[in-house]
Amino acid sequence: MIKITLNGKEIKCEENKTIYDICKDNDIIIPTLCKQENIAPEARCRICLVEMNGKLVTSCSTYPKEGCRIVTDSEKAKNARKRNTELMMANHGKSCLVDTKSNELCKLLKEVGLDEFRFDKTKNYKQDLGSSVVRDNNKCINCGRCVDTCSKIQEIYAIDFAGRGYNEHVTPYFEKNLASVSCIKCGQCILNCPVGAISEREHISEVIKVLNEKKKHVIVQIAPSIRVSLGEEFGYSPGTIVTGKMVAAFKKCGFEKVFDVDLGADMTIMEEASEFLERLKKGGPFPMITTCCPGWILFMEHFYHDLFDHMSSCKSPHEMLGMLTKTYYAKKAGLLKKDIIVVSIMPCTAKKFESTRVELDSGVDFVLTTREAAKLIKHFNIDFKNLKDENFDSPLGVSTGAATIFGATGGVMEAALRTAYEIGTKQKLTNPDFKVIRGMDGIKRGKVTINGREIKFAAAHGGANVRKLIEECHDYHFIEIMACPGGCVGGGGQPIPTNSEIVKKRAAALYSSDSKDKLRKSHENPVVKQIYKEYLDYPLSKKAEKLLHTKYKKRSQF
Amino acid sequence: MQIVKKTQLKALKTARELGPLGVIETLNKKKVVGRGGASFPVSDKWNYAIETKSDKKYVICNADEGEPGTFKDKLILIKNPETLIEGIIIASETIGASEAFIYLRGEYEGLRKNLEIKIKSIVKKSKTNVSIEIVIGAGAYICGEETAIIKSIQGFRGQPYFKPPFPPIQGLFGKPTVINNVETLVNIAQALCFSDYNPDLRLFSVSGAVKKPGVYEFKVGTKLTTVVEKAKPIGKPKAVYFGCFGGCMEYKDLELTPENICKEECIHGAGTIIVVGEKTSIIDMAYIISKFYTFESCGKCTPCREGTIQILLLLKKLRAKKGERKDLELLKELALHIKETSLCGLGQSSTNHIISAMHNFPNEFEELIKKQ
Repeated sequence: MIKITLNGKEIKCEENKTIYDICKDNDIIIPTLCKQENIAPEARCRICLVEMNGKLVTSCSTYPKEGCRIVTDSEKAKNARKRNTELMMANHGKSCLVDTKSNELCKLLKEVGLDEFRFDKTKNYKQDLGSSVVRDNNKCINCGRCVDTCSKIQEIYAIDFAGRGYNEHVTPYFEKNLASVSCIKCGQCILNCPVGAISEREHISEVIKVLNEKKKHVIVQIAPSIRVSLGEEFGYSPGTIVTGKMVAAFKKCGFEKVFDVDLGADMTIMEEASEFLERLKKGGPFPMITTCCPGWILFMEHFYHDLFDHMSSCKSPHEMLGMLTKTYYAKKAGLLKKDIIVVSIMPCTAKKFESTRVELDSGVDFVLTTREAAKLIKHFNIDFKNLKDENFDSPLGVSTGAATIFGATGGVMEAALRTAYEIGTKQKLTNPDFKVIRGMDGIKRGKVTINGREIKFAAAHGGANVRKLIEECHDYHFIEIMACPGGCVGGGGQPIPTNSEIVKKRAAALYSSDSKDKLRKSHENPVVKQIYKEYLDYPLSKKAEKLLHTKYKKRSQF
Repeated sequence: MQIVKKTQLKALKTARELGPLGVIETLNKKKVVGRGGASFPVSDKWNYAIETKSDKKYVICNADEGEPGTFKDKLILIKNPETLIEGIIIASETIGASEAFIYLRGEYEGLRKNLEIKIKSIVKKSKTNVSIEIVIGAGAYICGEETAIIKSIQGFRGQPYFKPPFPPIQGLFGKPTVINNVETLVNIAQALCFSDYNPDLRLFSVSGAVKKPGVYEFKVGTKLTTVVEKAKPIGKPKAVYFGCFGGCMEYKDLELTPENICKEECIHGAGTIIVVGEKTSIIDMAYIISKFYTFESCGKCTPCREGTIQILLLLKKLRAKKGERKDLELLKELALHIKETSLCGLGQSSTNHIISAMHNFPNEFEELIKKQ
């Protein structure tokens, strides 16, 4: 412990804490932009300046020494913050006025009380319009959070700084477009951008257009994790379950049917668990790796070509459901495939790319992120908070707890194990919870015995952890991988802010929903049973292979 | 010139006899300080590296002499590379490093071959197990900053990072690293070798409006006029610049000590003196130097990246006689702001030339906003 003076008051504090953290402990919040959770500060933005012994220092990176005097609200410090904000505004310009909710710079303007804009714009960049992630360097303030996220949390290294001086800018290597480099489109950079310089490729206007077309039968299907995060966009606290209101809102938007991707998840489990049991019979290849996450698929296609045989061939849940909507449901409802438009609401930006893959016969026409979904609902002036709860439409609206937890890291594994165990052993699980695979640890490992055989399984989330698990993957039989930290609840399409605390709350909501569910195993889902009986015959049947499975493509790293 | 006296491996012999602590004591006694600009005592810097426990330590010789108007290290690299290499070996053996790097300025590529030959022969002759490798810069001014050198050698973008941790505690590849510049390392060897070593001698790179530009050696406290006279000024000098980062002052009879120079709102730094003739406008100088900093800012931190270009734009406006009083005030405010809030030495000193020029030549700035 050391003694320092903070704003005239003598206080004791720990030696290994930065000024920023000490101030936080003492209820003083210093404005900052480039500081980021779980990443060592680079002190780029120079906003968190405070006075230490009369000199200006960045509070995020400075450790005070015994006896030093720190002033956080002196005119000098306040002015310095103001000037640096003003300098940033020179190039950021008016884009601050758009999307103010997620724009930290906009908030900062008020915090530092910036009242004059004396500097002119000095540069002009072309926008980088990717298939799922869009970058506009004209808004960028070079805080480096996206670069740090991509390299340190995801370990993808798709973007970095190039150029120097006032022309320093974020770019994929060799000034290429994001679409043509080894970016996995996870969208974590979007979540961490404080100024909205990176965003998803929006498809809202396209969706509104098809909603207005009379001939089209527009169906919306909603991913498991949306029900615990969409509420945040309408003022609910993180982790509030808003399933009923969400369904009601989409019906009000004009969608013919609101289907539940949970059902697709249950179908995925049926196919995936069967595939796994098949591999157990055949003796490999192990590990089998889940393929629900399109970010991970791209990750593998770019960086791990030797894992092709290990990947399950299952499409992701929303692609399965989209396909079933256009075939099974179309037949039942007497509709033509070409008249059905399927819109997926996903926590994910990579899903936007997935729906355009040529290797995958996609049943999904448009993918909207959670943020876009909220914008769509707001576009129709719907009073979300005062809506009456409604239920998903039949037939593709019945789900199980197993499908609900798909949205959290470890959830797919847990759901698959529940089904694989019961189908494989023909015995009931006394307790369907696999708690070892839950939680926010980067890599989670466990064991289970099926028919006298010990099955080792593991789950990883967040690119850096994924790389670690891949190193040791041959020790396991079954692996679940999610590209985003926390799984889909922390996905790149989720509401901003998304941080580890919020992600935990969203995940907890999913697990509590699962525990309350009567149906907790995918193979118990009556609609799943019905689909197999009426249409697909049995898991991994020829028809199922054609509609619900896919292939992968080798992509280069550069 | 003391600086070109060769130590012929005698300094290394002495150092080995004295042992690390003995070397530190001698350097402390002989008052050897860093010549990169900060005048930090060598003995202190080395002590940190010795006291930090680590399986690996490094020595880096900073030969990235990028400051405009500075060419003293080039002279040493040409005339006395032997003593420099000896200095590097002494530094390495003293702190316990087995690998050393010479970070050579990109534009000095031509000196590389000769240096490599000298390194090979001296390493062999001295029977040391220290390996010395030359790393060549790519031409960025910022890579003369010690943390940027570390990043550059590691293969990253040559950008500085904030200290602490200071390099002698945690530097190259996260290991204790001593970074000294060329002149310092030669001085270290000479201090250990010659009993008549004079720590007060400094090298001055004199250029600009002079007939005989070159490197001159003088004692600390020599008068500015004496130094400049030696280089035969053309006409009557109006001002001198202490490099781009040191700022400018009126040409006058001033004893060149750090304190005196500081009083003129300037920094002496690495002994650079650019003489400015009567007919040259200080505003033109400010514009040229601002252009240099706008180009050479690495872009990492906000004030330097965004500020340097805004300074340039303001000067452009003022030079075109389109400025007003508020532009002058903004120029001053911004210059001070960049100095106070930038991350590294480059940013912090990038506006010294404006601050000192506005202090020492206020009339030239007033002239710009006069109504015609």
